[in-house]
Amino acid sequence: MTRVQGLFAAAAAAVGVGLWFAFTSVADGLQGEYSRIINVHVPSFWVAFLAFGVTAFGSVAWLRTKNAKWDRRAAASAEIGTLFSGIGLFTGMVWGEAVWGRAWDWGDTRLATTAVMFFVYLGYLALRKATVDPITRARRSSILGVIAVVQIPLVYFSVNLFRTLHQTQSIRPDGSTMPDEMLMAMGINVVAFTVLYLALLAARIEVAAAEEATAADTRLAGDGVSPPRLSEVEDV
Amino acid sequence: MSDLAVVIVTFAVCYAVVLGYALWLHFRRRRLGG
Repeated sequence: MTRVQGLFAAAAAAVGVGLWFAFTSVADGLQGEYSRIINVHVPSFWVAFLAFGVTAFGSVAWLRTKNAKWDRRAAASAEIGTLFSGIGLFTGMVWGEAVWGRAWDWGDTRLATTAVMFFVYLGYLALRKATVDPITRARRSSILGVIAVVQIPLVYFSVNLFRTLHQTQSIRPDGSTMPDEMLMAMGINVVAFTVLYLALLAARIEVAAAEEATAADTRLAGDGVSPPRLSEVEDV
Repeated sequence: MSDLAVVIVTFAVCYAVVLGYALWLHFRRRRLGG
């Protein structure tokens, strides 16, 4: 079994345990079954924040060392973070429709900043697709990767800075507003999603390395054609 | 649809997306050789 396969096996087991706790833990008295969505919603955004942090770290490391492995790590992590941001937004909308009576509200600071973060990282991925030269691509995306990470504290603390629709954090330095059973289920799912992130990251980095190796082997049209030796051409 | 059914479908959609991404990585790695 390879390292990636081992990570995926661990992730499958962890996600299975997480699902068990998500559906057997106590449901909230007011929200009912919809409160179970927190077991996907919060772990998804935890993974997104972690992934974008790794992207920023990899970006700084590439800018300092110019080693391609850091660019691969940063880009792989950004792709996974964007995926989990999308999942977090989707689950939040399902929950919001049922509990708030609306799936989306642009007037809410948490929702608006999260949407902007999602689109900025989609832009990061588009920027990489649009740039052919690997050095230019790495430089441009590293600069964006460092700038974009500023959004994480903005998204996280937005509920404290501007009180709108989204509730404040359930876990605070002075304790939690959630029952212990719900908190444990959510914590187990956070751990499970972290293992899943590590497995996806390892697999994505391998694919990126294989893509680069293939690109290096690919000859452009005309590469195999030698220029004519004009000295050997006879006038007719 | 009951509340629990909506929640189960929501979970299923999320896990299907992640599974689809993992499978895409797997087959892309194989196509590139490895």
